[in-house]
Amino acid sequence: MKKKKQKNRHVYWNPYFGGFLLGLLIILTFYLTGRGLGASGALKSGVVTMVHTVAPTHAENNAYYSKFLKEGEFPMNNWLVFEAIGVILGAFLSGALTGRLNLKVQHSPKITSRRRLIFALIGGVLFGLGAQIARGCTSGAALSGMAVLATAGFITMIAIFGTGYLVAYFFRKNWI
Amino acid sequence: MSKRYKSKKILVKRRYQILAVILLILAGGLVLLPKYTKSEGISPELFVKNALSSERFINTDLLADRIINNDPSVLLIDTRSEKEFKEFALTNAINIPLKNLLDEDYIDYIDQDVYDVIFYSNDNFYANQAWMIGNRMGFKNLHVLKGGLNEWFNTIINPKYPEETMPKEAFELYSTRKAAGMYFGIGTIDPTMKTGTKKETISKPAAPKKVITKPKKKKRVPEGGC
Amino acid sequence: MGPLLPNGIIPPEWNYIIAILIGIAFGYIMEATGFSSSRKLAGVFYGYDFAVLKVFFTSAVVAVIGLYYLDYLNFLDISQLYVQPTYLWAAVIGGMIMGVGFLAGGFCPGTSLCAVAIGKIDGMVFTVGLMIGILIFSESFSVLEPFFESSNLGHITLVDTLGISPYWIIFIMTILAIAAFAISDKIRNKVKKVFY
Repeated sequence: MKKKKQKNRHVYWNPYFGGFLLGLLIILTFYLTGRGLGASGALKSGVVTMVHTVAPTHAENNAYYSKFLKEGEFPMNNWLVFEAIGVILGAFLSGALTGRLNLKVQHSPKITSRRRLIFALIGGVLFGLGAQIARGCTSGAALSGMAVLATAGFITMIAIFGTGYLVAYFFRKNWI
Repeated sequence: MSKRYKSKKILVKRRYQILAVILLILAGGLVLLPKYTKSEGISPELFVKNALSSERFINTDLLADRIINNDPSVLLIDTRSEKEFKEFALTNAINIPLKNLLDEDYIDYIDQDVYDVIFYSNDNFYANQAWMIGNRMGFKNLHVLKGGLNEWFNTIINPKYPEETMPKEAFELYSTRKAAGMYFGIGTIDPTMKTGTKKETISKPAAPKKVITKPKKKKRVPEGGC
Repeated sequence: MGPLLPNGIIPPEWNYIIAILIGIAFGYIMEATGFSSSRKLAGVFYGYDFAVLKVFFTSAVVAVIGLYYLDYLNFLDISQLYVQPTYLWAAVIGGMIMGVGFLAGGFCPGTSLCAVAIGKIDGMVFTVGLMIGILIFSESFSVLEPFFESSNLGHITLVDTLGISPYWIIFIMTILAIAAFAISDKIRNKVKKVFY
């Protein structure tokens, strides 16, 4: 790391302020819809749609896809898909207002972009797999689950962060 | 570190401490607030909504149609006394006198969401009371036979021959009702011949009791989570 | 009385509009607190940035306190809210896989969508990876199904698991969260700063 005095380029919100707003949003979401936020569910719908378009019979015969394929219903017509579209719009808005929009690979100066992207892919695959097994990701299972004191939410949260700390040492070069 | 920076840091720290205390007070408030038990069953607003809903009553024509078509989702419940039930009852009806409505033996018949439960009595009275009690408990798919058995006799068993001046629909309805009445075993009476139908002559059809295996009640509908 | 959509107080046509609006707010908050930056997210595991921990616990505590106050004041029926089922071992193993994925990829599904929105290529690659992961799971579902469906404890909450009043759980949660914030600040002051 450069030794000279340097400030973080990005000026983000105070995390407590962000957390407070996010908490209010979770309350609002539960108050309006009776369920919490989510993210990976939208990607699951995307995958189901793609597989169903490419190989319809295969998708219908698979026990997992067929759970989400209903007669006469488009799997993308899903609450979570619309929410995910909103997430992208909202993040774009925030990025645009603060001038954070640019096409780049963010990585530690100790590693190459290539290495970063390979690890991002591996991480994505693992996260996607884990989110399906645990029936939800950090936002859907852990965050929304904790808001209603769901046992699954706490277990998932502890498992994610506990494992994260256990394996952090092996990935340190990527981040520090 | 400059002195000013340091004092600012202390100020920020103080602010966080205040926020933390507020959060703790709010959380502690939940523990300390006096507890009360929420009233069980559905809210008064929903109850009024259900009471005014058109779904509440089912008319005799529709019921006759559903019985004739062997609609498996119909569950008829006779709310009159056992004695009256033995004298006459609708096909496949189950006798649950109003006073026994919430007995353990019977509760499974009304606390379920598989069948359309239809209460009936001689008129609307007992059936309506049963409906209200069930609705207040939050049970689903409860209905009342509009007009009860009296209406049943007047419309299905012994329909009135329409006046000559009445519209065509009235005659159609009459012939449907007559056919329905025939199905229930009493349609041979031609209303043009003057005959007073006697209720006592109606033989009670052998009513095999419906056996309901109560499905496991789901507390919450599972949905795809995240 | 809430929740409004399931109780029919808001007509269902609004469902998707509300979904998009909530999504926009969610995305905006995540991006503005820096969740589109994988190095900021990973900071929580190395002690140079605890934004994830702070945002996560603040929002969870605020949400749970708020929901229980709404329930107490009869604006909301907490028993009608969706509680995901607890499949004990699936949650543990799935969470562990996600933990490794988090460290390798630096995002989680929600934050990766934010990263995609502001043009982070690593975020896009991560999202593609997510879809591949879901595909792998779905294709091998017949093998994983017995495990996936095992140890179902139902839709339980900590109230059922621990057998104590939800209000005490919330109070303890709040204390733990504040303690975690204080400790995280102490740790951060000791750890070498990382700029990103």
